[in-house]
Amino acid sequence: MSNQAAAVPLRKDWEGGVSPFGVSYGKLFMWFFLVSDALTFSSLLCAYGFMRHKFFGDWAHPNEVFHHFPFLEGKNLPLAYVGFMTFDLIMSSVTMVLAVEAGHRKNRKQVLMWLFFTIIGGFIFVGSQCWEWYHFITGPELSETYHGVFREYFVNGRHIVNPHFTGANLMVNSYTMLPTFGDFFFCITGFHGFHVFSGVIINIVIFIMVANGVMDKRGHYEMVEKAGLYWHFVDLVWVFVFTFFYLL
Amino acid sequence: MSDFFEEYKGYPNYEKMAIHDEAHGKTTRKKLWMVFWIMLIVTLFELFIGFKYSETLGETNKEYLFIFLTIAKAFFIVFVFMHLGDEKNALKYVIIAPYTLFIFYLAFMAITEGVYSWHIKDLLLHQ
Repeated sequence: MSNQAAAVPLRKDWEGGVSPFGVSYGKLFMWFFLVSDALTFSSLLCAYGFMRHKFFGDWAHPNEVFHHFPFLEGKNLPLAYVGFMTFDLIMSSVTMVLAVEAGHRKNRKQVLMWLFFTIIGGFIFVGSQCWEWYHFITGPELSETYHGVFREYFVNGRHIVNPHFTGANLMVNSYTMLPTFGDFFFCITGFHGFHVFSGVIINIVIFIMVANGVMDKRGHYEMVEKAGLYWHFVDLVWVFVFTFFYLL
Repeated sequence: MSDFFEEYKGYPNYEKMAIHDEAHGKTTRKKLWMVFWIMLIVTLFELFIGFKYSETLGETNKEYLFIFLTIAKAFFIVFVFMHLGDEKNALKYVIIAPYTLFIFYLAFMAITEGVYSWHIKDLLLHQ
């Protein structure tokens, strides 16, 4: 009788001895980390929303600022390149989830293949963001005229007129009279770009671990799943940055 | 001490619970590609609306549409790609509920205060 009771423990989820959430320690805390990171990004985007409502009417139109495409210089293609970057990140998100799925089948070759594609997608995204920062900082050519260019700025409350300045830095930008526009661009896309960069590094580390057979020794590929959670989170943040910074 | 190890042996191996066979993997992959196509079409639709119909649709309607589509995409990423849909309800609520509560508050504050600041600025300029 007592042996039977020991063989079948009659314990409920919240009475100890098991995880009430049905996940391992590492995955649970990956989720908690992602929630806290999501709150950081939400506060940044909410600060952006505050400024945008405060300076309603003076804010730059994103489709007049981001209208360049590599190898098609001088053509007016508003938001096309940002659309490509979004596509690239969604695509790499799919390859990551396929790597996770292959890990559930313990198929090492497929995990390596899909992780490789994910890393390539991450590098394309980081490179695209560098290219976009370069164009944002150097600005349009002086001969180029389009609606929405201001050559007047407010620096520390002083009104400055500089007809020769194009581009942007933390103090002034030639897209609006508001330095806040440039500041938020650098802050939000920079913070997100840094997350993508760290995600690529994490994926490379996981790739090397899988290639060395560490996961096979452990008997499960949950590390790929945890790295995947982080990578999907980066994609999730970009979906919101894309909407609130570029589309609206 | 030996009791502790007896207990520990009974601890479920959560890391290995998601392991599945080839047939199960096939249906999972089908679902994942389906979600990918949905997200791609939604993104293209957003860009198309942004290009062509921003005037006809009206600024406010466009904003609401974009925010709705963004939240739809976020739902697909979190519940399918991040597998939160396959987790226990307890975990789902622990992740989603506090975050949603806080984000509503934060967005409400940002917009209310932002609009108020805009009114104040207007008031000062016209005096």
